[in-house]
Amino acid sequence: MAVERKRLPTVDPAAGDVVTGAPVSWLTTKVDAVVNWSRRNSLWPMPLGTACCAIEMMASAGSKFDIARFGAERFSFSPRQADLMIVAGRVTYKMAPILRRIWDQMPQPKWCISMGACASSGGMIDNYTIVQGIDQIIPVDVYVPGCPPRPESLLYGLMMIQEKIKGESLTNPFHREEGADSVGRPNLPPEAIELVAQPFGNSTRQNRISGVEGSSAISRPRDRRERLLEHQD
Amino acid sequence: MSPTLIQQLPDLVIGAEPPTDAEQSPSVQALRSRFGESVRAVRMDPVATPVVTIEPARIHEVLSFLKTDSTQGYDLLLDVMGADPGGDLVIQVWYQLWSMEHGRMLRLVALLPRSELSIPSAVDLYRAADWLEREVYDMYGVHFEGHPDLRRILMPENYDEGFPLRKDFPLRGRFTRSEQVRRALNRSTEDVYAREELALAGMLEAETSAAAADAPVGSEAKDYLAGEKMVINMGPQHPATHGVLRLVLQLDGETVVRCIPHIGYLHTGFEKTCEYREWNQVIPYTDRMDYLSPMLYNIGYALAVESLLGVEITPRCRVVRVILSELNRILGHLLWLGTGAMDIGATTVFLYTFQERERIYNLHESYCGGRITTSVTRIGGMLADLPVGWLEACREHVNGLPATLDEAEELLTRNSIWQSRMIDVGVIDAETALNLGLTGPNLRGSGLAYDVRKARPYLGYDEYDFDVPVGAVGDTYDRYLVRLEEMRQSVRIIQQALDRVPDGPINVQDPAVVLPDKSEAMSSIDAMISHFKLVMEGLQVPAGDVWYSIESTKGELGFGLIADGGPKPVRCRFRGPSFVNLAALPHMVEGGLVSDVIACNASIDIVLGEIDR
Repeated sequence: MAVERKRLPTVDPAAGDVVTGAPVSWLTTKVDAVVNWSRRNSLWPMPLGTACCAIEMMASAGSKFDIARFGAERFSFSPRQADLMIVAGRVTYKMAPILRRIWDQMPQPKWCISMGACASSGGMIDNYTIVQGIDQIIPVDVYVPGCPPRPESLLYGLMMIQEKIKGESLTNPFHREEGADSVGRPNLPPEAIELVAQPFGNSTRQNRISGVEGSSAISRPRDRRERLLEHQD
Repeated sequence: MSPTLIQQLPDLVIGAEPPTDAEQSPSVQALRSRFGESVRAVRMDPVATPVVTIEPARIHEVLSFLKTDSTQGYDLLLDVMGADPGGDLVIQVWYQLWSMEHGRMLRLVALLPRSELSIPSAVDLYRAADWLEREVYDMYGVHFEGHPDLRRILMPENYDEGFPLRKDFPLRGRFTRSEQVRRALNRSTEDVYAREELALAGMLEAETSAAAADAPVGSEAKDYLAGEKMVINMGPQHPATHGVLRLVLQLDGETVVRCIPHIGYLHTGFEKTCEYREWNQVIPYTDRMDYLSPMLYNIGYALAVESLLGVEITPRCRVVRVILSELNRILGHLLWLGTGAMDIGATTVFLYTFQERERIYNLHESYCGGRITTSVTRIGGMLADLPVGWLEACREHVNGLPATLDEAEELLTRNSIWQSRMIDVGVIDAETALNLGLTGPNLRGSGLAYDVRKARPYLGYDEYDFDVPVGAVGDTYDRYLVRLEEMRQSVRIIQQALDRVPDGPINVQDPAVVLPDKSEAMSSIDAMISHFKLVMEGLQVPAGDVWYSIESTKGELGFGLIADGGPKPVRCRFRGPSFVNLAALPHMVEGGLVSDVIACNASIDIVLGEIDR
């Protein structure tokens, strides 16, 4: 599985490295501003609708809530032409490899909204078949609570993604953290999966471990994974 | 309240009428005289369905007799379900039958010892049994002898943790969560694809050549001049499958040769989870099964439990439930209309119907606060009385609804593209439809006027004046017309119901069933005690079992419940109509064009939450 791949130089924030990447100049900030502006206002969602939340996702596309106001009405049913995955509904272990594959098929840059309680933490269904939070499978940027969330909540989640894109820079290597070696593999290591999959584990751990900083829109999912591991030690 | 009075409380609910004698049923008499000792026991369930326990080895003979004998005529197999009553003794298999001609219901029960979980298959008699038996095999490990394709259906084919619905299977599975994730992501191709498909695609070298050698000369496999067949995979992530349905299609050019549906990508384990919840706590799970018309599930489940309890709901509650049922029937059909039209390429209708759905959601919201997941019923009544002004708002909405339907119909019914995509596509004749176990608009589209609201009226549906529309040919266009007309009939029912909403309490006045008013619970000791008992001990449902069904938007929605006198169900079976209806898809599309798969799939009106449960 280990594919040799030329990677961008990485830094270790834990070791005290300062994350700067290429030197930030007047030019790169202006390019960033233009690129981010266009990216955040023309998100093409990949609707992975499985259950009840998918109906609210469809309602968001309807005339009353009209997701087109945020430039995200072009639902792309092919993952290869999408940059925002909206996982709306329960994800089963049978569906998990498909979810991971669709995520892997999406080109960078890509973001993910976990819509609803089931996708975020398993919700009211804690049994032998439901994945207790899709962040065990793929990285998630925004969790939208609700069972199902109202269309307004989804739109707010979308705005949080837009907010997050605003803070990104072409020069930051962490924005494209997933390499070829993560294809088809769980997002979290086994110990972290055990932690978040305890009854109520995901919802309580998300608060306790990720903290204020981690729940803000512009933190990376990677932060949370590392914190989970720190907590384990 | 003295302690003796507390003990008397549960007696209040067992005031049901003594059931009529099961021995007098003509079917039971015929079975007794013909099969003698093989009829082990006979009894009546709370909704007056005779329950006959049959020796498992003779079940095929008995079913064959019941189906073919003219005095019986049980031509619709509604349900095959398993049940594990616990105690490591037996696993039950229930067969729920309906006779269209005589209007009779019958349940056969076979008790299988755990050492010998085997029973003859009924697929050659009823094709509806195909998927139903596969589900029992998947969940209980019951082996159906003679079943042509006995594989797991909801769980992955290589699932090796056991049979989930058995009582000895832990709720969260046998493996740790990380192991479950690891196994899920590490499946090889052979595990994700059924062997059958790999053979179709020529990936199993040995088997295909062996099959070709066995085939007689001149058959498909030896016909070298025939074009090469192509296998394409559709789903589980596909915009037109209405959820996570996967279809494997074998194509000869544009023609579909074979269609193999795969389900279970949304298997949520509701039936297992509900065994760990109290009777009232099951209600929030019910509306997450059919999230297109959630209240129908709420109401059907409450009615089923009330029939076990022997509770008669109040007149006001009956009428309110009728209004909500029909409102949700419209809600479900509107979604079908919008998405079905979008599948075929008419996007505008989606916007019209969603506008109307938003108005119904507003009514939901003003009643219960939720848009989709409503959980409106409680056993013995509703969560609350209707808010002030709700009935007027409902009337206003319903009166305006036909105009929207006319608009949608104007766009579609006489549209030549629409007609050419739908007429004579996916034809199913009445006999096949019945054999496949279709119910609801799909069966009525084929010309059989079977509607549970007319056949076994519940909630006083016999007091309302409405028609049951039927189709003529059984094609996709007929199913479309039937559903449109059903919406208009629902409007008629709601208008009649709105004129007759009686005053009075909405909940039964029975402290053993319904929580008292909050204000009363804080001031009266009687109310406080019953409140305490209901909350701490849960609603006690007397031991017994029932198979109760209502007419949902998709067809006959059945609830198979077993109670042991405790606060939790022993078995909570949901017979989702879409599950059986979807099994008919291969019969509709095979021989047709690949583009018609979309139209056929849309016309069945499936909801995966209910299929996979």
